[in-house]
Amino acid sequence: MSVKEKLKQVLIEDLNIEDVEPDEIADDLALFGEGLGLDSLDAVELVIIIQKHFGVEIKDMVESRPIFESINTLAAYIEANKS
Amino acid sequence: MSVNNEEATSTVKQRWTSRSIGSSWQHQSFYLLIRCGGQQAAYLLLYCVVFYYTLLPSIRRKCSFYLSRRFPQAGRWQQFLNSYRMNLALGKVLVDRALVGILGADRLDVKLHGKQELMDLIAAGKGVILVNSHIGCWQVAASVLDFVDTPINLLIQREEGDIDRHHFEHSGGECPYRIIDPRGYLGGVMEMLQVLKRGEVLSVMGDRMLGNDKNGVDINFMGGKVTVPFSAYKLASATGAPIVALLSHKVSGNSYAIKISSTINVPANLGRGKENFTPYAQEYAGILEKYCEEHPFQFFNFFDMWQNKSAD
Repeated sequence: MSVKEKLKQVLIEDLNIEDVEPDEIADDLALFGEGLGLDSLDAVELVIIIQKHFGVEIKDMVESRPIFESINTLAAYIEANKS
Repeated sequence: MSVNNEEATSTVKQRWTSRSIGSSWQHQSFYLLIRCGGQQAAYLLLYCVVFYYTLLPSIRRKCSFYLSRRFPQAGRWQQFLNSYRMNLALGKVLVDRALVGILGADRLDVKLHGKQELMDLIAAGKGVILVNSHIGCWQVAASVLDFVDTPINLLIQREEGDIDRHHFEHSGGECPYRIIDPRGYLGGVMEMLQVLKRGEVLSVMGDRMLGNDKNGVDINFMGGKVTVPFSAYKLASATGAPIVALLSHKVSGNSYAIKISSTINVPANLGRGKENFTPYAQEYAGILEKYCEEHPFQFFNFFDMWQNKSAD
């Protein structure tokens, strides 16, 4: 399973996103606001999910803003930083 | 596509404003009096100004949302007197805040209770979340936290055109705290998470929703339901940072007391559902209710927090 596929699956499971299958989430879909519909506090959950499922810690939250844009950006960050 | 977090159940926008009801020249008059005659001179003008404003039905109505719950048996004259006392208490706090900025922090005698407890929590290195409310004078409280050797970050929203000055602005000095704007990216959540990961102090307000913030839970408060933010409890669960209620009240003329109240420990990994955080928001509401019993005129929320919701 690719990082993107696993990411979509854990987002749906851990964030309780209803009525959505992993393959329905486009890689470039915005995660927050319109798009997947996550809200600001879900960013906290995202940070935890990435650490829990991929062993990747986001050290600088402010500098890392762009990685929270989409599955594409999140997956790229995970692949670049996982040990 | 829907997200199952039960939003929109309690997200009626709260109609509060942080903007002063006074005009710029009225503020300047008080600042001039403080410079020329100190606190007492400003208080003399304040008594008259507060009496005038309390005569206005619109002002008394703003007081009545809280006062009618705190003093349900009060008759008309008592309601008027209570409104006057509440407005006067707020006025004195604002004068004292300007006093600290203009003439220096040594003009007030501020006693801090719980200093060692706070230092121990900071030393644990998980960050500390200070939950404040619109009570007493949180800026006086913040001014006595200079012994803290880690940065203090405040989540505060300032409205456009607000002429009310923070205490450090009177002296033209730099802001002693880092400000996190809730209107920033993702409501400032990433910055809040960052400062806690660095082991710093984060101060947030626990009694009002900010702007269009949807992250609120309904809790029981003074016989009705109010919506309060739960972001502090969520951050605490995610980072392991303890939550400390910071309470301040004016004791007498130039004397304030700051109390580092009980610590609220939120378990780790409570997940996404807002209902998981309700017990901790309710625990904080209990602390606030006790405060209102002890200091009934130093609770400064002049809007309908309850919005006609009934308690359980």
